[in-house]
Amino acid sequence: MREVPRRIGAAGAMWLGALAPGWAQAPQGGTAAPTAPAMVPFDAISGADTAWLMTATVLVLLMTLPGVALFYAGMVRRKNVLNTMASVVAIAAVVSVWWFVAGYSWAFTPGSAWIGGIGRMGLAGLDYDLGARLVAVSHIAPHVPEAVYAMFQLSFAVITAALVVGAFVERMRFSALVIFISLWTLFVYAPVAHWVWEPGGWLARLGALDFAGGAVVHVNAGMAGLACAWLLGKRRGYGKEPFAPYNLGWTMVGAALLWVGWFGFNAGSALAADGRAGLALAVTHIAAAAGALGWMAGEWVVRGRASLLGLCSGLVAGLVAITPAAGYVTPRAALAIGVVAGLVCYWGATGLKRWLHTDDSLDVFGVHGIGGVVGSLLTGVFASRTVSGVEASVLTQAVGVGTVMIFSLVGTALLLWLTGKVVPLRVDEASELEGLDIAEHREQLGS
Amino acid sequence: MNHHAPAEDRLAIAAHLHVLLRRKTGRVTDTEWMAANAEYAQAIVRFARQRGLADGAPELVEWADKLAHAMGEGAAPAQEPPAPPPRPARAAPGVPRYVGGIR
Repeated sequence: MREVPRRIGAAGAMWLGALAPGWAQAPQGGTAAPTAPAMVPFDAISGADTAWLMTATVLVLLMTLPGVALFYAGMVRRKNVLNTMASVVAIAAVVSVWWFVAGYSWAFTPGSAWIGGIGRMGLAGLDYDLGARLVAVSHIAPHVPEAVYAMFQLSFAVITAALVVGAFVERMRFSALVIFISLWTLFVYAPVAHWVWEPGGWLARLGALDFAGGAVVHVNAGMAGLACAWLLGKRRGYGKEPFAPYNLGWTMVGAALLWVGWFGFNAGSALAADGRAGLALAVTHIAAAAGALGWMAGEWVVRGRASLLGLCSGLVAGLVAITPAAGYVTPRAALAIGVVAGLVCYWGATGLKRWLHTDDSLDVFGVHGIGGVVGSLLTGVFASRTVSGVEASVLTQAVGVGTVMIFSLVGTALLLWLTGKVVPLRVDEASELEGLDIAEHREQLGS
Repeated sequence: MNHHAPAEDRLAIAAHLHVLLRRKTGRVTDTEWMAANAEYAQAIVRFARQRGLADGAPELVEWADKLAHAMGEGAAPAQEPPAPPPRPARAAPGVPRYVGGIR
């Protein structure tokens, strides 16, 4: 959970303290703070925090559009480049609408330990009353307008769904993708976000630490990707013929956008323009660099050379692994987390992938799933009490990440099955061989 | 040349014929060139018809006819067709790059 204890205010901290021992770091007693979305006076809003969170929202959206789109499109075959990009763009639109309809309310308003309430469906109540000089805020970030907080969280929902695309590229029917992602956002992503990030969520109360989404975003997307790869089956010719990537230069540009955008992802998750955000930014960069070098070292030892794709994959692995830890660890710990993630994710995308016998096409599980697990567990190892104000537990982290893994895997499988009842999940053989650009969109890449 | 079908339709038909030829005959063609160049398209149409009749693959003939129609011509070319394009470059023998994984 992001900075909740310090930011929730004193009374809120007392409320949280009763619920969540892991979060009980804020000073006790004092003035009231909202424990649910509420209207507050204009002067309760921090201009600096609001400006930073708006900037972070833009950065995180930039990670998806065009970051993930370029990152993935560069890795598929030429005949599927446009379909891959269209999938990411469509997901950004579809998830945004479902976030507006119900996702935000179910994820980030008080309800039960399992799911949020319905009060913010249709983004109802995100009011701005000029006459009364009142503005709506979330109880999770009571110093920024709730509209900004909801959009910041929307950008996380978008990128999480977009990451899953990498597991089923080059074979999933576009209509099936739209239906599946709609269901997945509402019935897998939103509940998990509620468990971990809403103060009443059961994992938040348990004390599981996930600063910016190691479990909610990356483990969740990774397991969903694994389920998709299993249930959709392998691409035709997989394992028998080379699937040469269209343009790894695009992938590098996408990776660079991810690296830069991740400052918004992690430092933005402090929900304030403060010292914790600064530290999160620093450890994010260190971990990315260490991840790139860790993967490069592994590749060098195993294959005798470093590759551009390896460097790009390694930096993403480092970024993934530091995500749950970003607000809780020191730069030295970030270096270790990054190196370990780079090495382990290299194994995840190669050795483990072969062992699983699954066509997780662009290694969503190998990089995001494994990186998220590594980062979540190492958060329990490296979280500094001085920085975080809480006592981290590897066991609690394992419970949190294990639960998310199982829920995401099973939930994704069920929703895919349901989607398959409405429309076939895969394109037919001829379409797959033709390429999805032509078969699904009647479009082609320029010469 | 007189294109009767829009470019995207020609490309879709060419892509389908490309897939059929690859599956039925092993011939690798250039889809985009097929949709753009009349002589090349005629050559592929003729080849597809021949193999379709010889191998008992009526869908080859069917799609060859569709391409010929889309290209706005049905007659055989006056000249010998150009040599088919070379097969796409493959990984060197013994170097299974991008087989079974991209990384």
